[in-house]
Amino acid sequence: MSKRIISLLKHSFMILISAACIFPLLWMISSSLKTQSTIFSDMSLFVLRPSWQNYITAWVKGNFGIYFLNSVFYTVTIVGGIVLVSSLAAYAFARLEFPFKNFLFLLLLAPMMIPIPGGFVALYVLLNKMHLINTRIGYILPQINAGLAMSIFLLKSFFEKIPRDLEDSARIDGCSRLGIYWHLCLPLAKPALAIVVIYNTLYVWNEYLLAMLILSDKSLMPLTRGLMIFRGEHVTQYPILMAGMCIATIPIIFLYLLMQKHIIKGVMAGAVKG
Amino acid sequence: MRILNCKTQGLKSQITNHKFQTNSNDRNSNDRNKKSVCNLVLGAWGLFVIWCLVLGILLVACSPKVKAPREKQLTIWHWMTDRQDAFEELARRYEEKKGVKVKFELYAPSDAYRQKVMAAAQSNTLPDIYGILGGKRFFASFVKSGYVADLTAAMKANKAEWESRFFPKALKINEFSKDNEFGVKPGIYAVPLDVMNIQMVYNKSLFKKAGLDPESPPERWEEFIAAAKKIKGKTGIGGLVSGWGEIWMIDCLANNYAFNIMGEEKVMATIKGEVPYTDPAWVRVLDLFKEMSEQGVLVEGIVTMVNKSAEQMFANERAAFAFNGSWCVNVYQGMNPELDYGVMLPPRVSSQNPMVIWGGAGSSFMVNARSQQKEKAIEFLNWLTQKEQQVFLSSQTNNLPANKKSLSDISVVLRQFADDMDNTTHPNIWSVSEYPLVTETFDKGIQSIIINEKTPLEVAKEVQRVKEREMKKSRE
Repeated sequence: MSKRIISLLKHSFMILISAACIFPLLWMISSSLKTQSTIFSDMSLFVLRPSWQNYITAWVKGNFGIYFLNSVFYTVTIVGGIVLVSSLAAYAFARLEFPFKNFLFLLLLAPMMIPIPGGFVALYVLLNKMHLINTRIGYILPQINAGLAMSIFLLKSFFEKIPRDLEDSARIDGCSRLGIYWHLCLPLAKPALAIVVIYNTLYVWNEYLLAMLILSDKSLMPLTRGLMIFRGEHVTQYPILMAGMCIATIPIIFLYLLMQKHIIKGVMAGAVKG
Repeated sequence: MRILNCKTQGLKSQITNHKFQTNSNDRNSNDRNKKSVCNLVLGAWGLFVIWCLVLGILLVACSPKVKAPREKQLTIWHWMTDRQDAFEELARRYEEKKGVKVKFELYAPSDAYRQKVMAAAQSNTLPDIYGILGGKRFFASFVKSGYVADLTAAMKANKAEWESRFFPKALKINEFSKDNEFGVKPGIYAVPLDVMNIQMVYNKSLFKKAGLDPESPPERWEEFIAAAKKIKGKTGIGGLVSGWGEIWMIDCLANNYAFNIMGEEKVMATIKGEVPYTDPAWVRVLDLFKEMSEQGVLVEGIVTMVNKSAEQMFANERAAFAFNGSWCVNVYQGMNPELDYGVMLPPRVSSQNPMVIWGGAGSSFMVNARSQQKEKAIEFLNWLTQKEQQVFLSSQTNNLPANKKSLSDISVVLRQFADDMDNTTHPNIWSVSEYPLVTETFDKGIQSIIINEKTPLEVAKEVQRVKEREMKKSRE
């Protein structure tokens, strides 16, 4: 009987937590279907007369067609770059012996302490000197750089946990170092890679400040720029903004569902190691 | 994991044997290790180069089409999201009329915009026209660094035709007077685009319901208290709402009454340290807030309320009066287009001094002194502030135009706000400024009075203590 009560309490608690997590999402969807005047007077989650027009307005007025493709391109390129460079670097730090290894590792981790906005002016001046202002590459490279520290840190600790014996056996079978990295270590690090991918995808997909700083051409801007035009100095068009946010959230939710299994594994593995 | 462990156990024995066999050939093993490290490095570089090539191809494929060189168009940077559409329309009209292409580039929010302007200034890539967000000291640093063109000559040309279009208070904020504390050459350095002021608005429907004349809002303090109490008694709806959780709005109303009760001279003397905050006139100012609180004139929770919530409350007709800026016209229009309201000055306490409100230039544009198209930029700003363009901007954005000649063509509510532009002032244009800590203590003290935590006299004494401490510090 007492077990039942404990189980009931546990489940009630978890339902409450889940409801608290889902509520903002439901509120966003509900607000996206209201009008500018009803959003301030109608506080209910269920909309009797949904205004689907908001989605069309958000897509057309926010230029989502161009921005959406740009965001997909930036996210794929930046996350791809981060995964490639950080996994190679993490493997080298975990498995190779070379002079100043620890010092170099600390040096690589140092940028984790400096948020990108802290170096905005310096970054702008540097990119301007390299003629990379208002170019895609000027937006991509600093973000790959920003994502490396955290990703290397995560992957290195994962690679270190892979038994060396496995690598030795692969070497006996004639596998090269790169082959071991590619065929053995990388597949085993899937949970950690999933964390790296989702973490960086979220960051890149939601990035806005750097885009504002570096890009000025509308055709180069990411999706977040489209959302910003609905936020005025004193007036915000909440229903259209919420509709835009719903559109922008769909790919991230889809990605999360796709990688859910690996993400949970990665988090669990991290917890066990911790 | 178990399977993996078994596998690794088996492999371990194989490896041990293998190691035993190779122990005699250590040199060969080291060579192999070196080789494999080299292979890894080479392979990694190979992968990186391939990725770079793929990226390069993608970049070329997705790069924007070739555009007209920047010299052929005027580029303007701004942060005003809600004005972008109107700006683009005006740019289209200007190109049609003068053949000059103008591009408005929007960078919002204002924090990001400010960062961009600072970064662009350091790398000398500021556009032809831009706005500077920040205090007068920040503005002065741009002028002194040579990033802002002096517009005095253009403003004074043709018998000061351009200068005379604006409300004097709007120009004042963009002007550096003789012997200014920043060491900037005296002159006008920016063009005001619109103006703003902060007053009271009242709900006409609630006035009607309470049997009050909606066309005669209270002019005196006693009338205001009586009207608020009457509306509450008849309709059950609270009196005054404002975003006093943002303390600068409290400061604004308290300063209005300070000017009304004791006059500008005495207020300035207080800031200079010649009159104490414990003076009866200052205690009277603080006492007004106590009176509003005790008489139930203020809506519940006003002390912690942000202005957005206050605006929502007034727009939803849950308060009879609101203390808000002229930008509220746009806000209320969005929240409740049916709202019937009027504008009134904060009711006077004393008839000896005028009621002075906060206001001045809303947003302004500067011309880049290093721009190769400086003259074209000045010409465009001149056109932008002509009556026709100002009326258009006002109708599209519900902001008060900076051009005083366009008042006859704007909405009634906006005109009511604009009518009192001559009674405006702002701490930014005062010759002296109060210590921030003193202002903060004063504003937070008012919050304490409203929630009945402190008396006006206690707050006055506390503010004076802080003032004396700050003055002592600055003397040292």
